[in-house]
Amino acid sequence: MNMNRRQAVQTISTSLGSLAFTAMTTREALAYARQENPMAPRETHFPARAKRVIMLFMNGAPSHVDTFDYKPELAEADGKSGGGRGRLMGPISPFRQRGNSGLWISDLFPNVSRHADDLCLIRSMHSDQPNHPTAERAAHTGSAQFVRPSLGAWSVYGLGTENADLPGFVVMGQGGRAGRVCFGSSFLPARYQATQVNAGLGAGRGGRSAGGPGGSAEAIPNISNSSLSESAQRTQLNLLARLNQATLKQERHQPQVEGIMQSYELAFRMQSSMPTVMDLSAETERTKAMYGIGEAATSDFGTQCLLARRMVEAGVRFVEVGTSGWDHHARLAELLPESCQAVDKPIAGLLADLKQRDLLKDTLVIFAGEFGRTPHGSGGRGHNNRGYTTWMAGGGVKGGFSYGATDELGYEASENRMHTHDWHATILHLMGLDHEKLTYRYSGRDFRLTNVGGKVAHDIFA
Amino acid sequence: MKQATLFLLLITLTVTARGQEYSAEQLKYFETHIRPALVKYCYDCHSVDAGDSRAGLLVDTREGLMQGGDSGPAIVPGNHADSLLWEAITWEGYEMPPSQQMPASVIDKFKTWIDMGAPDPRVRETLEFKTKITKDDIEQGRSHWAFQPPQPQAGQDIDSLVAAGLAESGLQPTRAADAFTLLRRLNFDIVGLPPTPSEIEVFADAFKVNPDAAVSSKVDELLARPQFGERWGRHWLDVARYAESSGSRNVSYPHAWRYRDYVIDAFNNDTHYDQFIKEQIAGDLLPAKTDEQWQNNLIATGFLAIGMKHHDEKNPRKFMSDMVDEQIDTTTQAVLGLTVACARCHDHKYDPIPTDDYYRLAGIFYSTKTYYGTTRIGQNHRPSDLLLLPVQDGGTPAARGGRTQSMASIQQRIDELDRQMRGVAGKDRRNLRNSRNRLVSQLQSLNPDGTAKAFGMGVQENGEMINASILLGGEVDKPAQEVQRGFVQVLGDLDFAVSSRRESGRLELAEALTSKDNPLTARVMMNRVWMHLLGSPLVETTSNFGLSGTAPTHPELLDHLAVRFMAKDWDVKAMIREIVMSKTYRRSSQYVVTNYEEDPDNKLLWRANPRQVDAEVLRDAMLALSGQLSAERPGGSVLAGMGGRPGSVNLPDNTYRSIYLPVVRDNLPESLDLFDFPDPNMSSTGRNESIVPTQALYLMNGEFVQAQASAMAAALQQQSSSREEQVRTAFLWAYSRPATSEELQASVAFFREFVPTAQGTPISIEPAAGPRGRAGRAGQAAGRGMAGGGRPGGRDPGMNREQGMNRGGAGPRGRRGPGGRTAAGRGRGGVSAAATSDQALAVFCQTLMASARFRILN
Repeated sequence: MNMNRRQAVQTISTSLGSLAFTAMTTREALAYARQENPMAPRETHFPARAKRVIMLFMNGAPSHVDTFDYKPELAEADGKSGGGRGRLMGPISPFRQRGNSGLWISDLFPNVSRHADDLCLIRSMHSDQPNHPTAERAAHTGSAQFVRPSLGAWSVYGLGTENADLPGFVVMGQGGRAGRVCFGSSFLPARYQATQVNAGLGAGRGGRSAGGPGGSAEAIPNISNSSLSESAQRTQLNLLARLNQATLKQERHQPQVEGIMQSYELAFRMQSSMPTVMDLSAETERTKAMYGIGEAATSDFGTQCLLARRMVEAGVRFVEVGTSGWDHHARLAELLPESCQAVDKPIAGLLADLKQRDLLKDTLVIFAGEFGRTPHGSGGRGHNNRGYTTWMAGGGVKGGFSYGATDELGYEASENRMHTHDWHATILHLMGLDHEKLTYRYSGRDFRLTNVGGKVAHDIFA
Repeated sequence: MKQATLFLLLITLTVTARGQEYSAEQLKYFETHIRPALVKYCYDCHSVDAGDSRAGLLVDTREGLMQGGDSGPAIVPGNHADSLLWEAITWEGYEMPPSQQMPASVIDKFKTWIDMGAPDPRVRETLEFKTKITKDDIEQGRSHWAFQPPQPQAGQDIDSLVAAGLAESGLQPTRAADAFTLLRRLNFDIVGLPPTPSEIEVFADAFKVNPDAAVSSKVDELLARPQFGERWGRHWLDVARYAESSGSRNVSYPHAWRYRDYVIDAFNNDTHYDQFIKEQIAGDLLPAKTDEQWQNNLIATGFLAIGMKHHDEKNPRKFMSDMVDEQIDTTTQAVLGLTVACARCHDHKYDPIPTDDYYRLAGIFYSTKTYYGTTRIGQNHRPSDLLLLPVQDGGTPAARGGRTQSMASIQQRIDELDRQMRGVAGKDRRNLRNSRNRLVSQLQSLNPDGTAKAFGMGVQENGEMINASILLGGEVDKPAQEVQRGFVQVLGDLDFAVSSRRESGRLELAEALTSKDNPLTARVMMNRVWMHLLGSPLVETTSNFGLSGTAPTHPELLDHLAVRFMAKDWDVKAMIREIVMSKTYRRSSQYVVTNYEEDPDNKLLWRANPRQVDAEVLRDAMLALSGQLSAERPGGSVLAGMGGRPGSVNLPDNTYRSIYLPVVRDNLPESLDLFDFPDPNMSSTGRNESIVPTQALYLMNGEFVQAQASAMAAALQQQSSSREEQVRTAFLWAYSRPATSEELQASVAFFREFVPTAQGTPISIEPAAGPRGRAGRAGQAAGRGMAGGGRPGGRDPGMNREQGMNRGGAGPRGRRGPGGRTAAGRGRGGVSAAATSDQALAVFCQTLMASARFRILN
């Protein structure tokens, strides 16, 4: 897998070079570009349980003790002193046992709860980072301090993509405080970084309707040309490729030029592939309703979840759907239910839809925030990076399963602790990648997502 | 400090309130009459136990009453008449408790109690913060390289210091870059615009005779251009997290542009860096001889006011504490390269910066009043005043235009709303009040003659100077001991302590930041300058020179630059000049395989770094090629006309330099956002260089790009009717050098293969709505378009390019571009030959703009 860097460069140069010098038809060009494509699917280290990933990221850090981490002691201790840390606050919503597995989940996620038997709760997460931007970066790139490739970028680097006409890594929805650094490729070649899609921002965003309730090609700005036919544009791109090729020849080795060349080729292919993927008109009303599309509270996130399904179905390797506004320092009782409501039905719809298409078995759905929230607080809860909950579903994890635990109040991961590095190692493992072998040599050192840490939690594998 | 945890607090209870001693009689009075009344009538809404502090007021401790809420202290001991509490319980001004007044006898007791000095034994649990960072830790911390004074490097210069590292690794640096490459590099790096053909010709000739002299005079000329400030001012605006809205709820800051223009002017006027920093931190406190200078200094303090804010925060203390935090964070990262704000909630995890240091700085900013404006509407709970500027220059031009209203008519509408508000409650009342507030703020922004007042954002000394209390875990309701205002202790002798009740300490802070004894300031700035010129910094973590930052690749070089910088009295232009004159800067970016294998990141500087041009440079260069670039300042910002919450800012018709595009937090113009413009929510540490297909889509299909390409094609046709000349000139404009034979071949093939299409919407090359009327005048201004000849060294083909580019009424705009309206016949019957060739040329021009050579500076 660690293709010699210079070899890789030559391969790309040759393929695009030929592409430029013969005026090929579009189809020929596409066929040619697929050969020896650095994005082509690659062998895994061991059989993959998950072929693709949908990560649902709750920026701002959702409260675990009000949602997926059942703490009866905290409920009892409501109003008592939290040992100098503040007054304890019981969960704002009752917990119940769900499904055959009897997982405890609060009433804030009534729809997701119906899929309890598919969920694998990881109740022992912990992160080194107590602040949003750094914790978001740690959760996405394994490093809070340095700019490093994102989990999604590593995944595509390790596995390639099943569809050369689409980006391998797509990000939708709202980002967090750390910004795009969470979705970058850093020292990995630029082709591995995420492509951002502005879908499902129908209501409320400055009155701009990007795709409306259905999601459409407009969600990707500039996806079509207003004055050129496809063949005319192909001629233009042939010139572009030749000019870039000339530049590359002059410079001999220039990753930026290579990156730019690939970006145009992919962009050209995306012009025909993306509108198809983004077009929700083929989806039935029943499916849309399942995701909560059309309902004010859930339409945005529901649209993004449905698009995520369409994308992984079409061969996108890693899709992240983000939402923000989970930083409930105040008015938790009022705002947390709103935040949960906006995602509950869409997530349940996504799980159900993946299942009915038989995709859930090898699609890993991850639900996470950058950390959790303190069991104490008045009105709201503070940041708690020492213990929180994420969950996974499908993709080869045990359903109806709870892994690890925090202390009796929910402050600190105490049992089967899972650090963000462990979490990443486990996710990569599910995709068939050994986090210690998935390395990239840069500046004289082999880098990996998990730095020097990472312990795979084999117990959660089905 | 390594294992610093949050829970170091020591809780002690004291019997007396901060040195206050009361007689037993006084205390008995309080216990008998006052405490029960407070519990009964007030605690429900104003006590920690009730979990409520309406209007920011807590009455359950003496501190709570003394500190007061939103409106100030609740009690003035000894003077009931001046006490807000008195006004409230007597229902004069406030009506408390709101349901029913206290019995008259109780109210009387309060009067007596306040007048006897408000004896009150209810002392807030005194929290104490004990730092784990000892004086010894701080002393030892000073041995970190960045806290040591930079050392002069006797007999060395930039090149010798770089050569030492190369020699050690046995790497041969590349040869000097050729004249074309170097000129393009100098142009982009210093003024952010490509050279014109005539400039290329002149420079190439001079370079042949004497390269050093040619570079030297070119550098002087570029540094003197007004476009220098537009390029380098933008670098500082990245660090200053400049934006024109609040972020979060995103309330507009329509006066922020004055700070932007101040920064541009400061670079153009060669304001030395120490002065530049002083003006931004404490400009309001600096002596000023004229109103203009006073104005300049006030606007400079906008640096502290333009940060991201949560206007929807209801708790005024939380808001204040967050704003102060933002000010500390930005100031220390920007100027010192220190992440002092990490010490807000706990001791700094890596650096010897105890939490005390943070609150010593915080006291300075708590003693400072920040003016950022905005109106109390909807979720904006935290507006402030603006600075009324000494020079009334007509105020912020509102792009909406023509909306002059007489003050009388506004007042009339206010009166009308006042009438409507009577007897209306709930949501309707709120809506009416919002409209009213909007009108009132509109009224306040007008002079009696109906002209707009000139406002700015910035800071002033607060009426009352206070020390900050350390907040445990950074939480506003957990104040511990007060600390005296001061500076970061690890910086040793620069530390100061302020106890004056008349000065915040901001002036002292500004002095400490810019002292030549400060080991950080010069290094941090030189590292940034180096990054902008060489494409990569010497210290990777440009805003973190602390222990968790990275070590410099060339410590001696960084010291050398810092020492030189201070020796030249912080003259930024002089240092830019010194760096670009070095051989290191002037090297070719040529790839050398053996070097690359040894040092792929070019840490040792064996070549010039090839780098992607910034978003602004890319856009400005396209406008320069098309001849559409407006050389003027827009005068304000289009944002001013967008109302409370700005909408779309893509503005494809805008032809001003990119620095003048509106910067709305979380809603950036596409042309900037797609190309790694930094997130203005926080101080930027340098730009990323991403390459993504959405950029490719923008350059292939974007409206703005197509319009510039069409305009460029039209300008080329104006210049020559020969296709070959058009092509050669296009390359010269776009690449700042003649085309290579390979490039020409590819072009020839393109024009042969290109099959025009009749489909699609025509592209309009109509320039922006804004400067349209001024296009002709702008055309003659410096930097307008690509004035100059065709091939360097060759004869200018056809007409004189200089004239051709001057857009009079009959300029190429009148002619329309390829996709433009000349092709109107298409719909009726195919494509005319002229239109076809126009389209091909426009597509060709666009391809040049999209190509890697155009986007990467080598």
